Amino acid sequence: MDLELTDIQQELGATVARLLKDKYDASAREAILAGELGYSEEIWQQFAELGLTSLTIPEEFGGAGMGFGEVAVVMEEFGKALVLEPYVPTVILGAGLVEALGTDAQKEEILPAVAEGAKKLAFAGYEPLARYELASPSTTFADGVLNGEKVSVWGGDAADTFIVSANNDGVLSLFLVDAAAAGVTVDPRRQADGLGSAAVLFENAPATPLGAGDPSAALEYVIDTANAALAAEAVGAMESALAMTADYLKTREQFGVAIGTFQSLQFRASECYALLEDARSMALYAKLAIVQDPDGTSKERHRDVLAAKLVIDSSSRHIMQESIQLHGGIGMTMEYPIGHYAKRLTVIPRTFDEQGTVNQELADLGGLVEPAAADL
Amino acid sequence: MDNLLNKEELEFAEHMREFYRTEIPEDIRYRQAIGSEEGTHDDVVATQRILNKHGYAVPNWSVASGGQDWTPVQRHIWLNEMQLACVPQPLAFNASMVGPVIDTFGSQEIKDRFLPATANIDIWWSQGFSEPNAGSDLASLKTSAVKQGDKYIVNGQKTWTTLGQYGDWIFTLVRTDPNVKKQAGISFLLIDMKSPGLTVRPIQLIDGGHEVNEVFFDNVEVPVENLVGEENKGWTYAKFLLGNERTGIARVGESQVKLARAKAYAAATKTAKGSLLNDPAFSARITTIEAELKALEFTQLRILSTQVAGADKPDPRSSILKLRGSRLQQDITELLTDIVGPQGLDFVDSREVRTKFTTLPHGAADALKTYFNYRKVSIYGGSSEVQLGIISKALLGL
Repeated sequence: MDLELTDIQQELGATVARLLKDKYDASAREAILAGELGYSEEIWQQFAELGLTSLTIPEEFGGAGMGFGEVAVVMEEFGKALVLEPYVPTVILGAGLVEALGTDAQKEEILPAVAEGAKKLAFAGYEPLARYELASPSTTFADGVLNGEKVSVWGGDAADTFIVSANNDGVLSLFLVDAAAAGVTVDPRRQADGLGSAAVLFENAPATPLGAGDPSAALEYVIDTANAALAAEAVGAMESALAMTADYLKTREQFGVAIGTFQSLQFRASECYALLEDARSMALYAKLAIVQDPDGTSKERHRDVLAAKLVIDSSSRHIMQESIQLHGGIGMTMEYPIGHYAKRLTVIPRTFDEQGTVNQELADLGGLVEPAAADL
Repeated sequence: MDNLLNKEELEFAEHMREFYRTEIPEDIRYRQAIGSEEGTHDDVVATQRILNKHGYAVPNWSVASGGQDWTPVQRHIWLNEMQLACVPQPLAFNASMVGPVIDTFGSQEIKDRFLPATANIDIWWSQGFSEPNAGSDLASLKTSAVKQGDKYIVNGQKTWTTLGQYGDWIFTLVRTDPNVKKQAGISFLLIDMKSPGLTVRPIQLIDGGHEVNEVFFDNVEVPVENLVGEENKGWTYAKFLLGNERTGIARVGESQVKLARAKAYAAATKTAKGSLLNDPAFSARITTIEAELKALEFTQLRILSTQVAGADKPDPRSSILKLRGSRLQQDITELLTDIVGPQGLDFVDSREVRTKFTTLPHGAADALKTYFNYRKVSIYGGSSEVQLGIISKALLGL
């Protein structure tokens, strides 16, 4: 049994960590956030040079053809530094959907450009007042054009091309839409955690079907992959938040002693540590679910990712809340970094679904343990 | 976890799976599976003797003393498959407490004298550690052993002696030097429970059962050759023993079996909406426990995996296994209690009722008793608060 990272993965993690240490400390991040874009095109190009944008793209389309194991390593480092660039929207969701569903010509047009860092993508699936519903969009496709409104389009502020879900004569389909095309209005938004998003209006916008056939299975697979990526990111963010909190407990003095000498605070920090280990275990579980299902056909994958998400989300919530509480007033300020971790850890659990729905869906899939009693 | 194992490990897992299901009598495994207390003593003895015959009772001991040259992963498989097959585990006092201490720190003479009988449970060992005023602060223990010629004279009281009513011998921490730092004056002494002056008194617990005891020592004479290792080194041996106690304390396999049983009962319990298993609030409670149990399983596997990579020291993350394992075991007993419903609130010994009455629901005889009994798991073996203290100190540096 070997659950450790491979040498290549360790090296990749160290390389990304080095880059972020040099270019992405709290003040650099603040400057990026204050800029017009809200992310850094220069950093994006460095991600491309390091091979991060081409990581999972097949070699025949100019990528490195690596698996999710490498993505998880990158995402954990991104989580530690709270990276703002639209990596998940472009590389995991966008390129993932194109690879799974696109025609050869579409792959040829889009994937090498993503790999080079020359193209950003965003998945436009959610609609106003419909929460996380993806299966039955109100947006329609007919006669080569799309009509409808999409919201919470992560990375939609930066995307060159949208992948849009729509009702195509009663059938769920995905479409490619050029962000600069006539009939496309992008309203850029900024999430609470600083990441870019958008609402997008499509009014007779020219659209091309992404491949053919029912995209549901591919959509589920790609969102599972994105959830597993967020699990790794959340672990990185929780690790930084807890390390920062433990440091604060050691240095902040009240009543003439470091507050970390108070048992009530020690126990609360220890519970956070246990929750971080729970999350680490389930990020690994989610990673294995994806890695062991490269063609997206496993029956257990979706269930396993949901189970992981349950644990990741409650750990994120608890650690986020306790990080602020254990810091006290300073944790409420924009100036001090802990609040920024708290914001990201608040958004992640609510990105592709929230706890109640995840719980119910997992139960509907039968959960993880098969019912069995010797006396029944 | 099969898909994480290499070929040899998988073959080993399949072998153990088959072994437990063919060699351990079905009635023993059945009683274990439905939480019956009937036959506890005899089932433990019968099972451990079968395991011992095949070399599977004490694999954690040195090979010279009858142990196995297994990897940490193999040991995990051995234990996990045992729990999944509802096989009563070897008596912990013998197999994972006194045995390893004698094996590691005892003279050849004391090993020859005790280890074979300990492995085969010809001696049923009891544990004499806790005292009325030495719980989490174990080192403050007061039971004294004063050397007089070739004997120690032991006086004092031990408590929480689990299954002490069956005990043949008791391994005991005694104070042999009262004039030094409290940890430095403790010795590890083996005492025959038939010795004059030793009495065992039962303690009734809130689960309605008699599981633990008080043991009194009134001028009990113990031959000096019953000392394990060196005098006043007992604290070192005790820490070694308690470290062993913590590994395997996650009890993931056992919790999986209990959860499977609870789910099966919930599925068989009709409600207005179908079955209790379909009830949204109830099923959310179950999935939460399932996901947390999976996290615990993977934390255990991650710790194991680094042990394989060569780390030999006890991993401080084991405290998380104890902390989480305890809570999940308790959560599952509570879940089962709530599934059984109002008829589970009577304290009964079996589901049987008088003629013409309806048999009690499944789990009625053990759910609530186990719920009360399992309040102990977050107290023994280093309470949850002790574990939080370890995490704070060893992992967070506070």
